[in-house]
Amino acid sequence: MALVQQIQLQGGAGARGSARRLAGSPALRLVGRRLLAAIPVLLGVTFLTFAVFNTLPNDTAQAILGLSASPGAVAALNHQLGLDQPFFVQYWHWLSGVLHGNLGTSVQGESVNHELATHLPVTLELLAYALVVSLLLAIIVAVLAARKPNGIVDRTQLAISMLGLSAAPYALAFVLIVIFAVKLQWFPVISGSVGDTPLSFLKAMTLPACAIGFPLFAIYTRLLRGDLVEQMQREDYIVTAKAKGVPPWRVLIRHALRNSMFTLITVVGLNLGTLVGAVAIIETVFTVPGIGQDLLTGISNRDVPLIEGIVLVFALMTVLGNLLADLMYAVLDPRIRYGSSTT
Amino acid sequence: MAAPLHDVAYVAAGGPQPLPSLVSTRKLRSQRLGRTLRLWIPAGFLILLLAMCFLWPLVYQLPSPTNGNIIQAQEAPFSPGHLLGTDQVGVDIFSQIVYGGRVAFEISVAVTLIGMAIGSLIGITAGFFGGWVDAVLSRVLDILIAFPALVLALAIAEGLGPSEFHVILALSAFSIPVFGRVTRGATLVVRELPFMVAARLAGTRRWRVIVRHVLPNIMPGVLSFSLLGLGIVIIIEGALDFLGYGIPPPSASWGSMIANGQQIMTARPEYVLIPSIFLLITVVALNMLGDALRERWGVQ
Repeated sequence: MALVQQIQLQGGAGARGSARRLAGSPALRLVGRRLLAAIPVLLGVTFLTFAVFNTLPNDTAQAILGLSASPGAVAALNHQLGLDQPFFVQYWHWLSGVLHGNLGTSVQGESVNHELATHLPVTLELLAYALVVSLLLAIIVAVLAARKPNGIVDRTQLAISMLGLSAAPYALAFVLIVIFAVKLQWFPVISGSVGDTPLSFLKAMTLPACAIGFPLFAIYTRLLRGDLVEQMQREDYIVTAKAKGVPPWRVLIRHALRNSMFTLITVVGLNLGTLVGAVAIIETVFTVPGIGQDLLTGISNRDVPLIEGIVLVFALMTVLGNLLADLMYAVLDPRIRYGSSTT
Repeated sequence: MAAPLHDVAYVAAGGPQPLPSLVSTRKLRSQRLGRTLRLWIPAGFLILLLAMCFLWPLVYQLPSPTNGNIIQAQEAPFSPGHLLGTDQVGVDIFSQIVYGGRVAFEISVAVTLIGMAIGSLIGITAGFFGGWVDAVLSRVLDILIAFPALVLALAIAEGLGPSEFHVILALSAFSIPVFGRVTRGATLVVRELPFMVAARLAGTRRWRVIVRHVLPNIMPGVLSFSLLGLGIVIIIEGALDFLGYGIPPPSASWGSMIANGQQIMTARPEYVLIPSIFLLITVVALNMLGDALRERWGVQ
């Protein structure tokens, strides 16, 4: 409430020092508050990961040295890796390392920073490819479907997106491989080497991106279509626009779509972090050298520092995705009053 | 007592005429038919699948889903004794589908029930009491949701060893916060409705308000969401099997069938396609039933 009053006061006061306005800027306050709220989530997620891997029977050293290793050698390696220390001490070491920008060393002896630096870009490219294509297609299909609800486009879109919503990513991946890599031979079965040219990137990444993007496309299309149809039926400004004689296409795209984009942006932001499972599986199936595949190797090796690093990256992506969605909202929609919403 | 008098034109027109309707009855009827079909077609598919998984083995003797005769390996679908053929080591595929489906249904129902029970408890508490209770519980839910489910599930399976019970345990840890968030949102909406104020003014006890007013009003949403949840759990359970962390190897599961079929995918694509199709049909039926129930109950 106090914030709302402050904003109104600011609006009434008109021009003041720009620095002061910036400091009191509602958007900045929003960013600040969201970042503060993100800290406990990030701490909680990483702590939980540590706790899970520590409460489970732990034989990292044994796994590295093999079953024939002497108990002395195992104890020595445990000491070297810091695994003989109390759990809180281990977490504290890791956390202070992270605050200094050092994510630790994996049990394979490699720096986690280095691992992420080489493999994260691949995953980000794959995700970006999948997201951009599925978003573009979803917008086009949803607009066409909302143009005539229950028409032929709408019904086809409904069936396709129901398939996309229900498809298991691993099953979808194999169906794609059987059709496009084995029968038609358009794409390679294995996407191990991404290559340098854009063409080789597209060739290697298209099937994995389809396997990740198809379910996303389904979610986005359903959501956007529903929102568009509702707006076209309910909102006053649509009636106004129609009454002014604006052509139907223009009403749909310039008026309804513009507003529906907000819902879409939020869902895209919320979805980012939940993609970790799909990314891990798809990267493993197509042997894409990204962090999703690293995550699965890390889990089977009990490589806690590596797992922690990757979990942190995905948790950060969730938090930043949500923040970005909020910001887009705040910047694009003047109706939103910052501070009054509590969610 | 006297019969009503009608003018000549009325009688000539053949007695009472239906008023011209604003909405065409035919359209209304087809809409009603559409609604019924949208509910019963997926429900019928689910009933068939459940019967296939749980009743079929009681009525007919199925070949073992775990042991096969290597001489009968790679038999084509519809060969005698093997409805869908056999896999590369001679195990009957249909029998694997039946027993794998059984495990998938058991796990998903158990996980969803646990998630619904505990998650609703947390969600209703947070939504109903608000204040610091809500702040703390919501933060916990945030953390649990931000925590990648697959990592937790794999960690539990890896640490405790693969078994049906451990898979249920691992997946519940992921369904509880999701149900918690859904019920919290629904409770927040119900809390603002006029009858809640009336109940409070009437001096109804809190737990009674929750049981008699909140619970029945959020139930439709939670139930239709739980159908979507069932589908998601089946997919994730399959992912665990697929990665080799789910149901221990000798028993059949759809995920491990896909993983095994992958090895000779180029020669026999149906080893991957058959379990994938069953997986797809099951999840599509669950999602469509969820949609139909939401439409019927008017849940957003």
